[in-house]
Amino acid sequence: MHDLSLFLLDIIENSVRAGATRIRVGVAADRAADSLEITVEDDGPGLPVTPREALDPFYTTKKGKKTGLGLSLFRQAAEAAGGGLSVGRSTDLGGVAVRAWMGLGNVDRPPLGDVATSILTMVATNQEVAFAVDLVDGDECTSLRGSELPQRLPALVAYQEGLT
Amino acid sequence: MADKITSPDQLLARAQQAQADLDLRQGRKDTQVTVHMGTCGIAAGARDVVATFMTEMSAAGVTSASLHQTGCAGLCEEEPMATITAADGTLYRYGLLDKDKVHTIVINHLVGGTPVDAYLIKT
Repeated sequence: MHDLSLFLLDIIENSVRAGATRIRVGVAADRAADSLEITVEDDGPGLPVTPREALDPFYTTKKGKKTGLGLSLFRQAAEAAGGGLSVGRSTDLGGVAVRAWMGLGNVDRPPLGDVATSILTMVATNQEVAFAVDLVDGDECTSLRGSELPQRLPALVAYQEGLT
Repeated sequence: MADKITSPDQLLARAQQAQADLDLRQGRKDTQVTVHMGTCGIAAGARDVVATFMTEMSAAGVTSASLHQTGCAGLCEEEPMATITAADGTLYRYGLLDKDKVHTIVINHLVGGTPVDAYLIKT
């Protein structure tokens, strides 16, 4: 994966494929603490396996496949940038919660990439799913909800261009 | 495939285009375009393929087809891939897509009704 927005897209796709009807995406930067956190939570059925199995690249729940690389690749990228990745249960939505964190200024952090296009493509192709996006930069928080996302695209683009 | 945005006007235009694309794709139509977005597809460029389908279908005025996404089809070497499902249920699987191929598929297949044989996956 070239950048974090592609990892994000992959994790959102996992939620959609699991049958989630509500998906909440968070991107939070804290320049003072030198941290960047990306979260995806859903109201799907939850993990059918243990978190350890979910992060094993040679384990997948997909029939006919022998590998499940998405989460493990994301974890590898986060760890390389001084962070990590956890998978568990979403306390708010009841499904899966994926949280990745890393050093904002770490030289090995992948660029944020085009988060706006990742979100937009998932919104456009999964209209039965209610998306919510929270963008945090220090004390500033921008929340985008469902049908307003396309109109608020400039806010997404401005956010990602402020971080890169 | 999204061009770099350099002005507020371009931001607004992109947002308006996105809204138009969403409106166009409301509901499930007789013909369905499904882009495969498993990890392999995303790594190979599936996001740009979706964005290009949105733009090209909107530009060509395609209203009889809807755009969707799904996971890996098990043909990772053919990613990025898209499957067009015709009204009669016939499946057309296109592989190794790029911007130019998507343009051709929209014009010839979705508008003209003729599948693009050269881009179909041969199994």
